Amino acid sequence: MRDHDREIDQAIALLREPVAMDHTLDARVMAEIAHVPAPRRLGPVGRAGLWLVRPRPVRVPPVAILAAAAALVLAVVRPWGGIADQPAPEAVPTFTAFAGNVRPTRFMLVAPAASAVTLVGDFNDWTADSTPMTTDASGGLWSVTIPLEPGRYRYAFLVDGEIWTPDPGAPRAVDDDFGRPNSVLTIGGL
Amino acid sequence: MVDVSEASDTELVARVLAGERDAYAGLVARYRDRLGRYAVRMLGNRSDAEDALQETFVRGYRSLGRCTDPDRFGAWLFGILVNRCRTLGAQRGRRERVHVADESALQRAATRDDPVGRQALREAIGAALARLAPTLREAFLLKFVEEMSYEEMATMTGASVPALKMRVSRARAELRQILSEADHA
Repeated sequence: MRDHDREIDQAIALLREPVAMDHTLDARVMAEIAHVPAPRRLGPVGRAGLWLVRPRPVRVPPVAILAAAAALVLAVVRPWGGIADQPAPEAVPTFTAFAGNVRPTRFMLVAPAASAVTLVGDFNDWTADSTPMTTDASGGLWSVTIPLEPGRYRYAFLVDGEIWTPDPGAPRAVDDDFGRPNSVLTIGGL
Repeated sequence: MVDVSEASDTELVARVLAGERDAYAGLVARYRDRLGRYAVRMLGNRSDAEDALQETFVRGYRSLGRCTDPDRFGAWLFGILVNRCRTLGAQRGRRERVHVADESALQRAATRDDPVGRQALREAIGAALARLAPTLREAFLLKFVEEMSYEEMATMTGASVPALKMRVSRARAELRQILSEADHA
């Protein structure tokens, strides 16, 4: 009978060995980004909006699973329709100062039993805790508004740090990550 | 040209954001192999790993303005890679393919103290990892190979710390079971 824990430790040591990737990858990357618009640092207004996307610890209450299971996801309220090509009128006043093509885009989810909801998507590289949503006075409507440039975005909601929830009011993305259902949002150009 | 050895991540990120596209080559060279290791281990083959890596660097470039802490550019980029590996792993059904290819690796790993045995063990653990569910494989690699804390893993994966602890425990138990099966094969 082998000591399988020792074998696993040996395997871990092997897995930690460096891997040398093909150096031509660098050239391929640089050739591809030559056709990508240059990234820009967010301007003053955009930075002011970063409070919306600042990192924070994911809240995981002891009864997270039960609470999340009990979360009743009633509907997504997107005043401007399922596929947004116009910002929500009520969201505009706060963000009319965004420059260029950047548009304030509001995401909403009704989940009265949830303790925390975050927005994950292509726009924040699917980072679980970078775009927390806040509740209204009733505690059931979670929302967040973020600046987005015209384009196609995949996204989902993360309820209580556990439950991956697509937007019931938006089309599903066909290229879901890891088998998890995502939604797709297309923002048209100006 | 970019002096990779001298410039910090923060400096290179600043130069890229200032419009110096070539400075990004320094970041690519710096993180190619570091990120490559995870991609190879997670996806099980270099071809898919290179695809994931290339997509990661391109997405990283496109989103660089959102990297609010350039000092931690590497960790930020790693988060993108984890997601790209998930997507590619799901799209290509790699798990079955690798498993079939390495079916006999565990048996060949019987002798582990010589170079042949060492290589066999390397193949065996690759095959064993491929038999894990992607979420378990991901948790195992992030914890034991990348040596991340559970808090860092939670940030990367979106899963809670208790859930990740459970995945790591299950991954280790399943690997132990796979090795045990190989003993009795």
